[in-house]
Amino acid sequence: MFKRLTVLVTCVAVLNLGSPLVAQAAVIGTMQAAGESGRVADLSTINTALARREVREQMVALGVEPAQVEQRIAALTDAELRALAGQMADMPAGGSALAVIGIVFLVLLILEAVGVIDIFKKFP
Amino acid sequence: MDAVRLVRVAVAPLLVLIAGCAATGPALTVPGQGGIPTRVDLEQTPFFPQVEYQCGPAALATVLSGSGLPVVPADLAPEVYLPARRGSLQPELLASARRRDRLPYLLPPTSDAIVSQLVAGIPVLVLQKLGAGPWPGWHYAVVVGYDVETQTFLLRSGTERRQEIPVARFVTTWDRAERWAIVVLQPGQMPGAPDAGRYVEAAAALEAVGHINAATVAYQAAAARWPGDALPRLALGNVALTRGDLALAESDYRHAIELDPENVAAHNNLAEVLLRRGCVSAARSETEIATRLAGTGPLATAVDDTAARAAAGGSSDEQGCPAP
Repeated sequence: MFKRLTVLVTCVAVLNLGSPLVAQAAVIGTMQAAGESGRVADLSTINTALARREVREQMVALGVEPAQVEQRIAALTDAELRALAGQMADMPAGGSALAVIGIVFLVLLILEAVGVIDIFKKFP
Repeated sequence: MDAVRLVRVAVAPLLVLIAGCAATGPALTVPGQGGIPTRVDLEQTPFFPQVEYQCGPAALATVLSGSGLPVVPADLAPEVYLPARRGSLQPELLASARRRDRLPYLLPPTSDAIVSQLVAGIPVLVLQKLGAGPWPGWHYAVVVGYDVETQTFLLRSGTERRQEIPVARFVTTWDRAERWAIVVLQPGQMPGAPDAGRYVEAAAALEAVGHINAATVAYQAAAARWPGDALPRLALGNVALTRGDLALAESDYRHAIELDPENVAAHNNLAEVLLRRGCVSAARSETEIATRLAGTGPLATAVDDTAARAAAGGSSDEQGCPAP
């Protein structure tokens, strides 16, 4: 009896999941209408559901707390999900200007070590 | 690897870096005194010195605070920081702003567009590429002012509260980041020199992630700002339909069609409303128009679907339906 109830509840839940999509199917959304007018050329052919799954996996792999992943994904549009899918490891990730300063220092250090320059006189 | 080659390998990116900084870039300067102030400094914009690699959360907190939201970088890091990348991706900054009912508006890729925002009192979040080669040095900063006389932009950047950077040098670093710049607006607030298409798209993104109320306010502002443009009216019809307000949706779609009689989406969506009202004949005449206008374009599939359901809808109309 309990098992049957569980099945029933699950069925209803699954059906409900699909219904908003069905209800909206014939309406042309604003995003789609605006995109048709030109600028948002969505060149990506990847399916949105697939993109969502890929982004979820990549977020976890890149160190996002699993508890945060779903919320982060929920705030992205379909076009953004498709743009992110497969690209998260390569897209520009704004981090720090400090890294650049570190690199310059590193290069100077190498030049010093191999004897091309001699500017760190105070540190024997 | 011998020492000389090691040096060469190590020096190459540095040379590129120096070249990048020294380049004068395209002939883009702060526009002359054609009606704009010679100097703007949005002093009130808060400053959050970045910690570690978290310039994304810091820059986003700066512009969100500028839009009247009391947030600090630590609130935003769990939403936008990617630990293994030691940075934040652009779409996630947009998403984080949307989660707070703010409208992230993508600027056209010109320094004039940045100046327009500053004149309107709105700080601008930009992406810069400060490094080169294997060390790209992607960096987010916030432009809070300019000075025509010294030809500089004023930035909140990294750990610097007031970074004055020559316009040409800024444009070079911004160029290499494909001139990405956004402002974060309160729903209904207009950016400087607003563009109808960009604004409605930004609002549509807000709608797409479920912030219907904020999106509606933005569409209303767009409809008031561009009364001759059909797109904001169509958008208002769509949010009315999402709310289940068929009467309002119908009047918005009719208004959109008045403004642009060839608007496929407006005809299609009007047909959808009429179908839900039980007005099959009137819906059919709308789908006929939509089908003809859509041709084989990108909206044809959606129109075909509506037309098929109108065709299968029988022949009896409810009372009070408009004449087909």
